[in-house]
Amino acid sequence: MGRSLLIVSVISAAVNVTRLLSSLLIIYLTLGWKVRKAKKAFEKELIKQGMPKEDAKRMSARYAALKDEALNTLKRSIRTFS
Amino acid sequence: MSERPEKKKHVMEDAEEIKQILGAVSTEVPGLIKSIIASVFSEEAGKSMGKAAAAFYKELKDSGMPDTVAVKMTEDYISVFTSLGDVLKKAGGHGGKLRLDVSKGKPEVESEKEMEGGTPAQELEKEIERRVRQRLAERRREDEEDED
Repeated sequence: MGRSLLIVSVISAAVNVTRLLSSLLIIYLTLGWKVRKAKKAFEKELIKQGMPKEDAKRMSARYAALKDEALNTLKRSIRTFS
Repeated sequence: MSERPEKKKHVMEDAEEIKQILGAVSTEVPGLIKSIIASVFSEEAGKSMGKAAAAFYKELKDSGMPDTVAVKMTEDYISVFTSLGDVLKKAGGHGGKLRLDVSKGKPEVESEKEMEGGTPAQELEKEIERRVRQRLAERRREDEEDED
């Protein structure tokens, strides 16, 4: 009885870890797409107000670079804790 | 002999606890990360940030600012939102590394700059400590003078 309960606990813990990792993977994979959409919306608003296209593109690139910065910070913090 | 069932019970409790923790973490953490990401990287967030920057640019242009200056100033304005790395570095004590000292049982901050003679945060800490000591010494002196 005790052993079967332990096995159930271990299996459900493994399922939870798998679920967590797959959710994080999905978030990571969809991040690029979300950033692209946000960047386009950002650029569109700037161009709408009369900013030259090149300048708007340069600024939106800076906005998109925020993703790399955030990921680098995350990697650095993971490296620090490990 | 009675130790074995006790130990078994303890293992069971631990496993159950870990299961519950992982269950909560696997549902809460992705949601939390998703909402954080959505607050910065979503179409809505991009649009509102773009609106803010565009309004700033328009105001500058309307007030007669040359185009290049207006663009430069808008770029600086945007960098306030986008300098997340700098903000996090500052929040984390200038990129200090957190090291857990097992022997002392408490985390210690260690950074590369520390080796060179201290970060601004450490200098500030030292300065505060120095002033507090100075103030305490003054107060003690005053007390001694009062007693005399």
